[in-house]
Amino acid sequence: MLRLFNTANFRLSALCGVVFACCFAIFLFFTYWTTTNVLEQQLRARVRDELNAFVTEAKTDGTQTVVQDIIERLNNAATTLAFYSLNDAPNQKLVGNIPNFQEQLGWQKIIPTADTDITGAQDEDHQIWGQGERLADGSFIFVGQDAYRVLAAQEAIIDSFFWLAGLATVLALLAGIIVSRKFLGRIDDINKTSLAIINGNLKERIPMRGTSDEIDKLSANLNRLLDSNQDLLDSLKHVSTNIAHDLRTPLSRLRQRLEDAQSTAKSAAEFRSHISSALNDSDQLLSTFSALLRISQIESGSRKSAFSRLDLSQLCERVTNIYLAVVEDSDRKLLRDIEPSIIVLGDEELLLQMLVNLLENAICHTPVGTRIILKLHLEKQHARLSISDNGLGIPDKQRLKVLDRFYRLEESRTTPGNGLGLSLVSAIAQLHNSVIELEDNAPGLRVSLSLPSIET
Amino acid sequence: MKLLLIEDDASTADFIRRGLSEHGHVLDVAENGKDGLFLAASGAYDALIIDRMLPVFDGLSIVKMLRATGNPTPLLLLTTMGGLDDRVEGLEAGADDYLVKPFALVELVARLAALARRPPLSTVQTTLKIDELEMDLLKRIVKRGGKTIDLQPQEFKLLEYLMRSEGRVVTRTMLLEAVWNFHFDPQTSVVETHISRLRAKLDKGFSYEMILTLRGVGYRMIGHAEAL
Repeated sequence: MLRLFNTANFRLSALCGVVFACCFAIFLFFTYWTTTNVLEQQLRARVRDELNAFVTEAKTDGTQTVVQDIIERLNNAATTLAFYSLNDAPNQKLVGNIPNFQEQLGWQKIIPTADTDITGAQDEDHQIWGQGERLADGSFIFVGQDAYRVLAAQEAIIDSFFWLAGLATVLALLAGIIVSRKFLGRIDDINKTSLAIINGNLKERIPMRGTSDEIDKLSANLNRLLDSNQDLLDSLKHVSTNIAHDLRTPLSRLRQRLEDAQSTAKSAAEFRSHISSALNDSDQLLSTFSALLRISQIESGSRKSAFSRLDLSQLCERVTNIYLAVVEDSDRKLLRDIEPSIIVLGDEELLLQMLVNLLENAICHTPVGTRIILKLHLEKQHARLSISDNGLGIPDKQRLKVLDRFYRLEESRTTPGNGLGLSLVSAIAQLHNSVIELEDNAPGLRVSLSLPSIET
Repeated sequence: MKLLLIEDDASTADFIRRGLSEHGHVLDVAENGKDGLFLAASGAYDALIIDRMLPVFDGLSIVKMLRATGNPTPLLLLTTMGGLDDRVEGLEAGADDYLVKPFALVELVARLAALARRPPLSTVQTTLKIDELEMDLLKRIVKRGGKTIDLQPQEFKLLEYLMRSEGRVVTRTMLLEAVWNFHFDPQTSVVETHISRLRAKLDKGFSYEMILTLRGVGYRMIGHAEAL
């Protein structure tokens, strides 16, 4: 419960309730003031009129007529609300219905006490409001009226204020509690999920209500964050396993060679041959490590600051020029279809390595006689680069996996390479905000990517 | 050559010292940047080998300080970082060459030799000549024994680099960097392919081969005297 009162939501609702009650109080005070004022003015006007009539009557017809008039009025059942008192000087009551009346000139409010019995109205709801004046012959006259209407109106307004203010506060509190409960429940969901994840249940996700409100959106984003973290963790795990696995093979081979040399080698020539093979193995290990380092350096994105405008067409020409001879010597064919003067923003050294890796893949992992085609075209303001071959291709299921570090097709385990070539290509493409696409060239493989081109 | 090595790792320093003395070089070793800078500033060395990561002053600062004082001694930076930007940073600071650890000793020796004989920048050569082989850098013409040899632009560049390094060992990595601007190791035999094509054009019909292959090391361009 304490937690409930501590929520921002509850505090906000409570504040709303208070502000609402204050507005209500101001409004009601105004109503109270105007209503009683108007009613009192009306009462005064009526008393004034009657009093004036009596004063005039006393002047013309004498005080005795007024006494008769008052007796008549008091006997009239319709005038029970009226109170009169006519006193002979000094202080001798001639006629009237107010007990213990004290003479006083001008306006006065008489609050009835237990012993002032006025027609069965002794409570506070009944007061006699009226005016006293001296008549021509020196006697005193008081005309008053029961003010219960004014008082009742006042009371009704004050009562309704307390009722309504109370109701408004209760409703505001209730609304606060309900809203906070709902809000808290969802925060609880998020909390439970975080705790579960902290405790190692990485698959846990925040439940969604499908209301697409702010909290749902927050939950969706948090879930997405968790998903991408999970992916990263998975790939990290995958990579570490692969590193351990893929490095163990050359390391154990290296160890075996050294052991062989120790136990079997007799002559210097034999030692030399063992050592040179061991050197080869360690070189291979080193190159794997430097490729891994290079990939993570590229992925860190620090290289992006060195991006500059470069002619991708020229770069493709250059690389194909270098590789024409290599491809020819390997009994394959290299064709190119390069649209001139395509300018992109990028890192020349890395793009060069990417092109080299892609071409070398096409050379190393295809049968003799394969035709390799490098194409570069401008397509919707993008430089579209593709390198395709009509070799064996990659089975559908494995096509995406070849971009993973150390992933190698079973068929290519025997060919040289460390399984990092395409990972490097993919990292370079990503650095250039592009994605490597691998497609079936039927037959063979087509690797393509698009880079945003710069207008010349 | 009299060389100075600034390297804090004793076993690496020992490996380099033994290797270089076998090739007839004299090597002084400084174990930290401060001593190294003091020795290097004396100007008594033909070339400097400086590790990038050093105590007191790091290698890059030493290079900058030496160059700022106008010291022209050729120098080579060593690094364990196969960093992409490291090489550019090193060269921009004023290093003449850059070598990533671990390296083969022959690579270091070949690069030092190339550094020490780097011609002064002021002399602009327009022709290169090794005995009967002539190269006109302006007209882009190559002749051997008066007979014009038709070369592809890449082959021309390759031959130019080899001729400029006449008599010295040129490693595969040096060629990849200088001729093709490859700062990585390709899977295929790019260098071998182009060397064999160049060799076919250059040596065919002549009495001796001018490009020697040194197995596991690299290549060497030789003249008539050495070939016989």
